[in-house]
Amino acid sequence: MAFTHITEYDGITEYKLDSNNLKVLLVPRDAAPVVAFMVVYRVGSRNEAVGHTGSTHLLEHMLFKGTPTYNKKNGTQIAAILQKQGAVFNADTWFDRTRYYEMLPNDQLELAIHLEADRMRNSFIADEDRQSEMTVVRNELERGENDPGRILDERLWALAFREHPYHHPTIGWRSDVEGVPTTRLKEFYDTYYHPNNATAIMVGDFKHEAALDLIAKHFGPIPSSPNVIPPTYTVEPPQEGEIRFVLRRAGQLGIVEMAWHIPQATHPDSGALTLLDTILSTGITSRLYQALIETELAVDVGAQAYQFIDPGLFTLDLTLRPGVAHQEAERVALEVIEKFKTEEVPEKELQKAKNMIITQMIYLRDSPFGVVSALGEAEGVADWKLYVDLPKMVEKVTSADIKRVANTYFTQDNRTVGYFIPKEESSNE
Amino acid sequence: MSDHSFAARTRRYEFPNGLTLLVLENHANPTVSVSGYLRAGAYFNPNDKDGLSSLTASMLNKGTARRAKLEIAESLESAGARLSTGSNTFTVSIGGQSLSRDLGLIIKTLGEELREPAFPADELEKLKQRVIAGIKEDQDETRVRAYERLTQLIFLQDNPFYRKPADHLISRIESISVENLREFYGRYYGPGSMILTIVGDVDAENVRGLLEEVFGDWQGAPARQFDLTETPLQVEAKVDVVQMRDKANCDIVIGHASRLRRSNPDFLAARIANSALGQSTLSSRLGLKVRDEMGLTYGINSSFPESGIGDGPFTIAVTVAPQNIDQTIKTTMEIVSDYLTNGIREDELRDEKSSHTGAFKVGLATNAGMASQIASAELLGLGVQYLDEFPSQIASMTKEQVDAAIRKYLHPEVATTVIAGTINQ
Repeated sequence: MAFTHITEYDGITEYKLDSNNLKVLLVPRDAAPVVAFMVVYRVGSRNEAVGHTGSTHLLEHMLFKGTPTYNKKNGTQIAAILQKQGAVFNADTWFDRTRYYEMLPNDQLELAIHLEADRMRNSFIADEDRQSEMTVVRNELERGENDPGRILDERLWALAFREHPYHHPTIGWRSDVEGVPTTRLKEFYDTYYHPNNATAIMVGDFKHEAALDLIAKHFGPIPSSPNVIPPTYTVEPPQEGEIRFVLRRAGQLGIVEMAWHIPQATHPDSGALTLLDTILSTGITSRLYQALIETELAVDVGAQAYQFIDPGLFTLDLTLRPGVAHQEAERVALEVIEKFKTEEVPEKELQKAKNMIITQMIYLRDSPFGVVSALGEAEGVADWKLYVDLPKMVEKVTSADIKRVANTYFTQDNRTVGYFIPKEESSNE
Repeated sequence: MSDHSFAARTRRYEFPNGLTLLVLENHANPTVSVSGYLRAGAYFNPNDKDGLSSLTASMLNKGTARRAKLEIAESLESAGARLSTGSNTFTVSIGGQSLSRDLGLIIKTLGEELREPAFPADELEKLKQRVIAGIKEDQDETRVRAYERLTQLIFLQDNPFYRKPADHLISRIESISVENLREFYGRYYGPGSMILTIVGDVDAENVRGLLEEVFGDWQGAPARQFDLTETPLQVEAKVDVVQMRDKANCDIVIGHASRLRRSNPDFLAARIANSALGQSTLSSRLGLKVRDEMGLTYGINSSFPESGIGDGPFTIAVTVAPQNIDQTIKTTMEIVSDYLTNGIREDELRDEKSSHTGAFKVGLATNAGMASQIASAELLGLGVQYLDEFPSQIASMTKEQVDAAIRKYLHPEVATTVIAGTINQ
């Protein structure tokens, strides 16, 4: 057989394609005659530097521009051929990974596998295509710039990370997106797009052996990378002091965003941080909702533990009710945070947060895309078992752990705070 | 009718008080999804009380005769269950999801919220302020501003699809009292127009028993009907600009009254006519030219965004940098004009047919997807069998039918164009 069986765990089987070390995950689920297929590449904006920020994302767009087999001239344009089957398909890029996926009727599984195998090495990456696609991406960037909350978030990451590439947004800096040469994109493609730097994941109604045969048929002939995939080595040093900034531009509602550095996804404290994010902001009973929305200081609140390959951030964002001072909302949110350091979370509240996370995982299993997506994200930062083990990891967190973790990371020196202040309309405009 | 058909697998119950329950058992995962409707949407708002239906629906979970808001939320959230109600143009929609063992919890909570809402005054005040802030926030979005202005230019003020200006809406919302909510609730909330679809790891007969227990003796308001007249087509083309500050990107919306409802016999032909033109920004005619070839935009789509119970507009929406506005509008209009002249190509029609059939299958792959499709088929009077008949209805579509729909429903010659953004005039 062309595959080495690696492990089977929680209904998921992992194989390695012997010819090129492609990692393969199969998750059978026959509730509906559809299948979701995803290829995750371990490359993202984390692998970029000044001059070519945004290249991973621009390259992702270029992978829709065709191969000698699938292209517009042949009448087999990639998007059109998937659309024709009624597929839900797309691709996206983030800090650590780039993913390509299709969910489609199961009699079209081979199309998805063939297409992904084909564009792994055979994409055109032509200069003429880059020129027209660059302006598409530039409009995507401009759409983002319309949103003050997004700009505030971008600046916050750029200040909190001074040295590590999480400093720049995945979409890239505007002049880099405009200026990056096609040869640089091609270099990116040739460095990272290889079977040994990817995981293929299949979830849905398929026959196990037949699915493996199709993967072997289409991915098998692709050689593994000629060179070692280059590791990254930039480390963000400790912050050593609070960073504060203000963004002023046209807008309607003020925003306060704050963030603290937290460790990488595989760190033992990740379970506690995931629970803190739920306790703070999921549902009406959550602490930020109660402290800021019930009291009419904010109209929207959020908390998010961003857990990546390298240390990430834990962020809070508060959209203020008109007339509320930024300082006041910040003070109240910090009181909520400080309380975790001095008082243990009551057992009942902790259990509620655990239930929310675990039921959310069960809901995800309703949809092949939900499962493929969750496994893909886990593969992007570490390993798919990280996702499968989330309930176990969360279940063993105690109130004492939460208190310790809050004291470890939620410190003033480790904090970055940004205010978005809507600019008043000037009278001569 | 095969044993695997949706019609054969879905149990439909009509209760004496008018409530319609549809249950589809799917034992693949220990979860259940709930989807439903009541005819109590914005259409029924009194003239001077815009926002009333929306506030009423959003207040249902803010306290009942038995429990305060926090107590209700605590019981649902502790089980990881979700339940929501919200108002649309014509209906109040109900959505929920839980582990199958907690179905009783969400149905009983829904019963309590629908039958015994308390409408506490302090909660109404908080909700009003939050809704008003949301309206203000939306006013910062080019997409919202362009669409809003389009509806103001093509519909009369009493049309259900006319979007009221933000200042007007805010002042009306400020004027709404608990008494207004009680009165609206009393007139429009009842089992007579209620549809509830439940899909998941459940036993249909047990679900029927549960609904009997929770809603069986509910009387409430009688079911109301919609009295809709067709919106006339515009008589001339117009252009308008919504000037905003600090926007790198503009939103352009081009549109006119669609006169297309789900009950029109050529609805599916119109849907195919639209999708070949602009449903997908990556592969439809507009996207292939304006995005893929010319690189002018990240997104361009055409749609009948409201066609269902009522008609609403036909729109083409596209985002561009300010310097590309003229070229984008010109190219878009040329594509539409060519489409009108020459109609759909045979290969496009073939591809759209397989696309619609495949997408329908993919959309029905989850409990939530099935629940929402079944509820909507019931609401629109199509019946569950629609889910079985859809593929053959699509397969039988001809070029003549689609071309006729293109000519009937696309009218660029009288379209209104609205551009929202930071524009140098």
